[in-house]
Amino acid sequence: MFRRNTPDLTRLLIYGALIFVCVYNLAPFLWMISSSLKTEAEVKSYPATFLPHVVTLEPYANILVWGGFITYFMNSAIISFSTAFISSFVGALAGYGFSRYMFKGRTSLMTIFLASQLLPGVLLVGPYFKMLTFIKLYDTRIGLIVAQTTITLPFSVWMLKSFIDTVPVEIDQAAMVDGASRWQAFFKVVLPLIAPGIVATTIFAFLLAWGDLLWALCLLSSPSLKTVTLGITELVGQFRIRWAELMGASIIASLPCVILYLFLQSALTRGFTAGAVKQ
Amino acid sequence: MRLRTKEYEAYLFILPALSMLIVILGFPFVMAILMSLNLAWVKSSLLGFTFENYSRLFRDRVFYNDLIVTLSFVLPTVGFHLLLGLGVALLLNMEIKARRFFRVVAILPWTIPDVIAGLIWRFMFDPLSGIINSVLARLNLIQLPITWLSDARLALPSVVFAEIWRGYPFVMLLLLAGLQSIPQGLYEAAKIDGASAWKRFWHISLPNLSRIIMIAFTLDFIWECRRFGLVYNMTGGNPGHATEVLSLYVYKNFFIFFNFGYAAAIAVVLALIMMIISFPYLKASMKEL
Repeated sequence: MFRRNTPDLTRLLIYGALIFVCVYNLAPFLWMISSSLKTEAEVKSYPATFLPHVVTLEPYANILVWGGFITYFMNSAIISFSTAFISSFVGALAGYGFSRYMFKGRTSLMTIFLASQLLPGVLLVGPYFKMLTFIKLYDTRIGLIVAQTTITLPFSVWMLKSFIDTVPVEIDQAAMVDGASRWQAFFKVVLPLIAPGIVATTIFAFLLAWGDLLWALCLLSSPSLKTVTLGITELVGQFRIRWAELMGASIIASLPCVILYLFLQSALTRGFTAGAVKQ
Repeated sequence: MRLRTKEYEAYLFILPALSMLIVILGFPFVMAILMSLNLAWVKSSLLGFTFENYSRLFRDRVFYNDLIVTLSFVLPTVGFHLLLGLGVALLLNMEIKARRFFRVVAILPWTIPDVIAGLIWRFMFDPLSGIINSVLARLNLIQLPITWLSDARLALPSVVFAEIWRGYPFVMLLLLAGLQSIPQGLYEAAKIDGASAWKRFWHISLPNLSRIIMIAFTLDFIWECRRFGLVYNMTGGNPGHATEVLSLYVYKNFFIFFNFGYAAAIAVVLALIMMIISFPYLKASMKEL
């Protein structure tokens, strides 16, 4: 669309626009990093300084001293990993079923999976809270993991089905002719072929669970179980906000998301658009 | 092509996912509807129900206010997501140097949790320690700090501004993939026929993107309608109810005021709005099966 012989002015405009986008996207990140390195006095000063006059790591030391933070971080990791693993596994099974079989109620079932994404979390979390209280699973990791898994499940099923659709059915048949059972064909032949899709789905489920506030807020109360998003959120309400520490904690809490994304950007992009773009 | 043998096997594959969906989504969904109707088991036989919660909605000024706040939050956000997303997607689809770098930067805002984006922007909008007033003051554009988030007129636009920043890269990703799937030959042919860049965009890019724009609009609309963490952390719905979106009102009714039935009724209305908007998308997706 845009060739070497494009006039210099156009070129200038394009790179100008790109640099503007970079500044717009990065400014909040730079501000977050810069603030997390300021002293308490500087962070409160008006007008705020762009870069710290004195660089200090004290806010980070304070975060570690809080102690709770490490627990929160580990809790988020446990909950998000479990959610991502279960929803990809269960999702791959269902995706295979939808992709490979014609059966009664297939269309209606797939519609149900798609439409279930339309139910807002606030609609479900109240009754789910009551259910959990009734079966004594309120304030447990299991209760939260099961909820998160189910929320990410419909998306995982659709995404994995579209990946499995790209594997020709003859491959399953060949494996079965060679004596593999249906399960073996699924586990040993199809799953390895859609590894990028599984990775993308797992990451997406992980990110959704990691970033959640609503469900953790409503389903957990013990400090030893709280997730990192919940822990950070509660720091805001408690006393006068210590912004340097809060920004430091926010950086640490966002880091897994940013890193995971940057490592697996192409797989994720492909995953999101697998069903949306006709190849 | 699909295998038509042993139909029952299909159910085995789908059963784990389906049972989770029924127990964790289906059951609470039905419960929410029953709660919203104040359904009661009278002496283990007859069911009594009322529409009291729904008629209360019509009289509740806060509900009206929050409905308008929700729409004033969702519509501009989604609109700007599409505009910005399309603009940046077009830029990234050009032959540029350091494309990989620009692409990574373009996606960054969307990678952080909305809860944390809410905090960052709350800090940026802070009247005294925030960077936005600092820039304005240094440029001599303001004499006194502006109270962005505690001013009833400025609070909602500020929240919208933050969510535009956070959410547009997702729309951009979808549109970029859409642009890349348009055959280059179409552009070449148009160029030979002397079509200007604008005409090529208007007559080739846009029509070919229409389907994916519809998908992006619907997904984004749904996600913004249920947005919770960003608003909760940025303003908590304050000042007054100026930034209180419906999902926040449902949460407050359930977990702070303990009006279970009423909370459920509001949530059902919110779900209905989302379903109406996403109906064309659902229908189109069904055709793909």
